[in-house]
Amino acid sequence: MMQSQITSRPRYRELVAEDTAGAHLLIVEGDTLTPRQMAALAAAFAPVAERMQTWLVSAPATALAPGRVRKLQTVEEAAATLEHMDEGFGIADRLYLQGTEPFMWMLAAAATRAGLSPTQIRMQHAGSLKRRVWCTHCHQTTENVTTNIATCAGCGRELLVRDHFSRRLGAFMGVMVDAEAPGEVPQREEVFP
Amino acid sequence: MIGETLELTVVGVDDIAPSLRHVRLAAADGGQLPPASAGANIQLRLQGEARTWRNAYSLISQPGRRDVYEIIVRRVPESRGGSAFVHEVLKPGDRLVASWPSNLFAPQRTARHHLMIAGGIGITPFLSYVADFAHNGASHALHVCCRESETATFAPWLQDCGDLNYYWDADGHRLDIPALLAQQPAGTHLYVCGPAALNDQVIQAAADAGWPASHVHCEHFGAALSGGTPFTAFLSRSGIEVEVGESESLLEAIERIGASAPCLCRGGACGVCVTGVLEGEPEHRDHYLGADEREGGQLIMPCVSRARSARLVLDL
Repeated sequence: MMQSQITSRPRYRELVAEDTAGAHLLIVEGDTLTPRQMAALAAAFAPVAERMQTWLVSAPATALAPGRVRKLQTVEEAAATLEHMDEGFGIADRLYLQGTEPFMWMLAAAATRAGLSPTQIRMQHAGSLKRRVWCTHCHQTTENVTTNIATCAGCGRELLVRDHFSRRLGAFMGVMVDAEAPGEVPQREEVFP
Repeated sequence: MIGETLELTVVGVDDIAPSLRHVRLAAADGGQLPPASAGANIQLRLQGEARTWRNAYSLISQPGRRDVYEIIVRRVPESRGGSAFVHEVLKPGDRLVASWPSNLFAPQRTARHHLMIAGGIGITPFLSYVADFAHNGASHALHVCCRESETATFAPWLQDCGDLNYYWDADGHRLDIPALLAQQPAGTHLYVCGPAALNDQVIQAAADAGWPASHVHCEHFGAALSGGTPFTAFLSRSGIEVEVGESESLLEAIERIGASAPCLCRGGACGVCVTGVLEGEPEHRDHYLGADEREGGQLIMPCVSRARSARLVLDL
């Protein structure tokens, strides 16, 4: 489900440090951290290690990372810190994100509010395929969706989870699945494990 | 030219420096002109005795102003004739045919800060930018590289410029491009307009510093680059052969024999005049075709590009 015919579906790439003169910030979702992944990141970012810091979010206390390391408890805390950094971002800086899509897009949105351009942000998906779903009827979002059909946390409608993605909301579109034939709800299956 | 044309009357001609002429144009019928946005240009048809020039000039008038279009024309020593015509022949009361305004160099509305670098007469698009930014309260800075004697020439248009800096070619007065580009906040958009050497330096310095290409914008002067070794062009669809002289562009030669060729910027930037090449090897001078298209050798921008081979066969 990482590839789709729907062109709004983002594509993610393996992180590679860009050798720019600016600062480099890597934020990793701790749940997705394996020793092998961390070693790959350390190798990828070795060329810019001096100008780099890594934020580990909800990671085990013993986790290691390249550059200056900072540990944060939650993605909300990381997003707030990102949005209100005293020194702000420079035009040559880069932000690298690794984690699930709800994690990465919450941080990307915070960075955008802080002035960073989408062309300065790189993302590599890791961990669960779970989705944040935005209901087209009540405009509420439902978190941690792993099934093709989900119950809206806002209005309770049964939503078909589509591949259409909003970068602004960091969420996939959910539309009422039984709007045409009330009560006819197809089998619910886990498709975003 | 694309679409309808405008009939203009010269209402003012004013030499603001030894080689700079300020020209004011109004609608010939006394009506209102189409509004133009910051960074827009118009193409003027300049009718000389022996030949016609079609040159694009940036509008320096206040964006949206409809009673007058203003341009500034630098007299170029190695001019193909257009700028000399404006300086020697053009006078108040003359009629001119012009294109509607078009804009290939508009400011980026999502920018948090606008950083402008001008080289010489490349300041002209930024005169309308500054008026726009000052009016909208947008954060901006203008860095002008020019002759020492011309640092005051553009003052009438820059009174509302927030952060204005001049540089010229003397010790202690040259622009340190890498230093300027090193410390700019996220959300800055960079614009450069000047001679090719300055444009190339700024674009390279931005890339070296790690600026995302999406935040770097350039306007080239193409017309001066369009001359070179004469060659022959054969227009396969109309079956006409034309000799392209050393001081005219391929596009001008095509227009001279009366064939219609779409065009817009006449500077190799917009892509409107792109034409198929059936035989011969193009010499690409545009800023539009990608590396693959250049290597493919099947497309050419007649407004600036020429031929390496003695003959080009065009799908025109």
